Amino acid sequence: MTVETGTQVSEDSFAAIAAAAGDEGDVVGRSPWALAWRRLRRNKVALAFLVLFIIICVCCALAPLYAHHIAHTGPNDNHVGEFLKEGNKKIPIISQGGIKIVNGQTKFTPGGVPIGPQWFSAGGRFVLGADTNGRDIAVRLLYGGINSLKIGIGSSLICTFIAIVLSLLAAYYGGIVDFLIARFYDLIWAFPVLLLAIALGTALSINGFHHFGITIAAGSLWIPTLVISYVLIPYVGRPLRGQLLSLREKEFVEAAVAQGAGPFRIMFGELLPNVSSTVLVFFTLIIANNILTEAGLSFLGAGVQPPNPSWGTLIADGQDRISTAPWLAITPGIAIVLTVLALNVFGDGLRDALDPRARVRIEH
Amino acid sequence: MSLSLAAVMVLVALAATACGSNKSSSSKNPTTATSSGNSGGVVNGGNEGRSYSTLRVTWDQPDYMDPGLAYTVAAWQILWNVYGGLLGYKHAGGSGGATLVPYLASSLPKITNGGKTYNFTLRKGLKYSNGQAVKASDFPYTIERDFKMDSPGVGFFSAIKGVSGANGYAATKKGHISGIKANDATGKITITLDHPEADFAAILATEFAAFVPTGTPASDQSAKGGPPADGPYMVKAYNATRSFTVVRNPQFQASKIPTVPRGNPDKVVGKIITDPTAAMETVLNGQSDYDFQPIPNDRLATIQKQHGSQLKIYTPADMYYIFLNNRIAPFNNIKARQAVEYGLDRQAMVQFFGGLGQPTQNLLPPNYPQYKKTSAYTYDMNKAKSLAKASGTTGQSVTVYGVNTDPSKSVVEYVASQLTKMGWKANVKLLAHGVYFTTIGNQATKAQAGYADWYQDYPNPIDWFDTLWNGNRITQTHNNNYGNVDVPSINKEIERLKATPTTTPAQNSAWAKIDNELVVKYATTVPYINRSGTDFFSPKMDMSCYQFHVLYQWDFSTSCQK
Repeated sequence: MTVETGTQVSEDSFAAIAAAAGDEGDVVGRSPWALAWRRLRRNKVALAFLVLFIIICVCCALAPLYAHHIAHTGPNDNHVGEFLKEGNKKIPIISQGGIKIVNGQTKFTPGGVPIGPQWFSAGGRFVLGADTNGRDIAVRLLYGGINSLKIGIGSSLICTFIAIVLSLLAAYYGGIVDFLIARFYDLIWAFPVLLLAIALGTALSINGFHHFGITIAAGSLWIPTLVISYVLIPYVGRPLRGQLLSLREKEFVEAAVAQGAGPFRIMFGELLPNVSSTVLVFFTLIIANNILTEAGLSFLGAGVQPPNPSWGTLIADGQDRISTAPWLAITPGIAIVLTVLALNVFGDGLRDALDPRARVRIEH
Repeated sequence: MSLSLAAVMVLVALAATACGSNKSSSSKNPTTATSSGNSGGVVNGGNEGRSYSTLRVTWDQPDYMDPGLAYTVAAWQILWNVYGGLLGYKHAGGSGGATLVPYLASSLPKITNGGKTYNFTLRKGLKYSNGQAVKASDFPYTIERDFKMDSPGVGFFSAIKGVSGANGYAATKKGHISGIKANDATGKITITLDHPEADFAAILATEFAAFVPTGTPASDQSAKGGPPADGPYMVKAYNATRSFTVVRNPQFQASKIPTVPRGNPDKVVGKIITDPTAAMETVLNGQSDYDFQPIPNDRLATIQKQHGSQLKIYTPADMYYIFLNNRIAPFNNIKARQAVEYGLDRQAMVQFFGGLGQPTQNLLPPNYPQYKKTSAYTYDMNKAKSLAKASGTTGQSVTVYGVNTDPSKSVVEYVASQLTKMGWKANVKLLAHGVYFTTIGNQATKAQAGYADWYQDYPNPIDWFDTLWNGNRITQTHNNNYGNVDVPSINKEIERLKATPTTTPAQNSAWAKIDNELVVKYATTVPYINRSGTDFFSPKMDMSCYQFHVLYQWDFSTSCQK
């Protein structure tokens, strides 16, 4: 291990020395971020999945353009009773059935089956078919992606921010403050994440939130966003608090205190930068986790509320037709898999790039 | 004045479906003939005596197995053959099924005192499944037990003397109901009402009036398989979420109650499966002989094509509607309500039910003699938009309530989408079935619009108009009039018709006028479909025995196997 690690160190050092000594012969120091970026650039798989995630985000962001100019329908516009023209053919978007009396006899014709994927034969309309309300699945998939990503990224931002602030307070002040914050983490940690999220999501999605002068309407995307943020705080906060408690005892913090630095500067100027790489890795990985949690909540009716789409609600909508129209559930499922996979692989790569110990471990 | 019950009998007989026979199509036929009943009113007699060992069924979850509490078709369809009251319905398909016949009573009641007193005599020698004798005093005990259990059926008995009022039995639940007298020695039962009730005989035929032995605890007895039975069958085992077993009642003597058939299967083994696809699979893979659940929309065509001879389409007396809250904005404005009437495409909405149904603009189902087809609204979004605009309410928020499963979910999302097109800011609120009707029936919810349906409790227009649209019956909680429809002239007319037998053409026309005015003149409610259902059988079953009852749907007691 020593030899191999040494080899890696010497490779880095030689590269740095060679680059620096090129013109002036001086050794140029590289920041940890620059070194991390260099390591990340070498991880082609992680970068490929980052590109995939960006592509998914861009596709979703372009949903309004696609809906307006190609599909010519909004995500919640129903087309029940309408027809699709393909050449001279008129295809009902929802098959027309019913009970009719023909020659004195009552006859039944099954109906209510939505049109299947049209791919590109209908000029971009109903590429992935329609749902039972005659809504364009492709449009809903993209808009659903917007909602899923909004909730995933938004809840990760809120969750990480709160976890950072609480953990910094706990680490800096210690004592009763640390005790209270640690018990708060324990309290939330004690509940199974999904069950707590379902309970909160169900209660709030019916009536909304109307307390402490804050009003969030039922059906707002803020509800799943805040619920997911809340239940995952300890999953970011506990490890951060541990690291910060350890850093609090380091000499550089004592030095800062000796120089007369105030609490704010110590927390955000000394402690936070030293856990920034951890925060970044957590943030990336927790987005994937939160997208999955949102999908679970929406699938169970405790997340995004109909008729608004999300990948979770689209899977729920498609599950009843899994045997005859599997694409209704499979396409949003694939979207979730690709997004979560992309974020997890990139997050792993980022962790390896930012954490030297991980570098040693991986390079062995 | 003595009134003959014949008038009431004629009414309920007419109220039944009068559709023709229900021959199933060949398996290759793309369409299936539907049935609104069995072969044109053929009585069970044709199927009697074809006993067989075991009928395996897949069923929906019954709410209770206690006749005092059960209030779903899934429960009543079983309990009909387990518990009987003084009166009941003929075991027959078609219009014959709506005929009231004496079950435990020796004959139809003698009605005296201007329609206020009902006199019965109990049949002799009847026994419950536990061997206990059936006594006249069990009847008042049964009704009082309903009140003690807060049965959902107690409202039906409010006209009995001594029930209503501050000191009435409904409020105090103490002592006895003064309007019911029973004599065990003579078997005589006398029921006195505060005022004549045209549908009282039909009320006595509901499961809420089915006898239970005196001393039966006034609490849910479902876990024990229900109270001792007096019908041809008894519930031997019941697990609320998994299964039930119904066997012959050893104490039942068909000779003593000739109006109730002994039944063909010796035993019915039921598997409770709430998922329609899973339920259907049990029949397809040979585990079950009957599927209670509707065939899923996307499987209907395949089932019809491949198993058409085993599939029956039936049309019960039902109506699905969108309620609009007439008390609160924006639907306290008639133009806003008219906009919704024009802005919903009823034919398109049938597709949410897999095509299993007929669009309607009537509140009463078409198989009622009081039904007079209404065709006032043709789908016209432009007209809907202009009416909405004229109401001055566009831009307001509207929440449309519904149950979180299909078809309600699809219907509600469609309605919200159409309201948005008309100019309102519509959103959807979906609730679990278990809490939905309680929530929208609570005035505190202030539900503006939503999904609702109604299946008859008994074949009489009173069960529709008085329960659902009589403004005098609006309550703060458990309100059945979800839209708070309150038209004084119509309330008055309903009250008038309630107090008189509704058999004359003039009175039928009066009901038809109410139906029309509530939808057309006042646009109070948006009826949109009379839904049909499916009964799916295994090839083991002899489909020539299929008998659909107007109230209790498929009658398993009359089924036969090949």
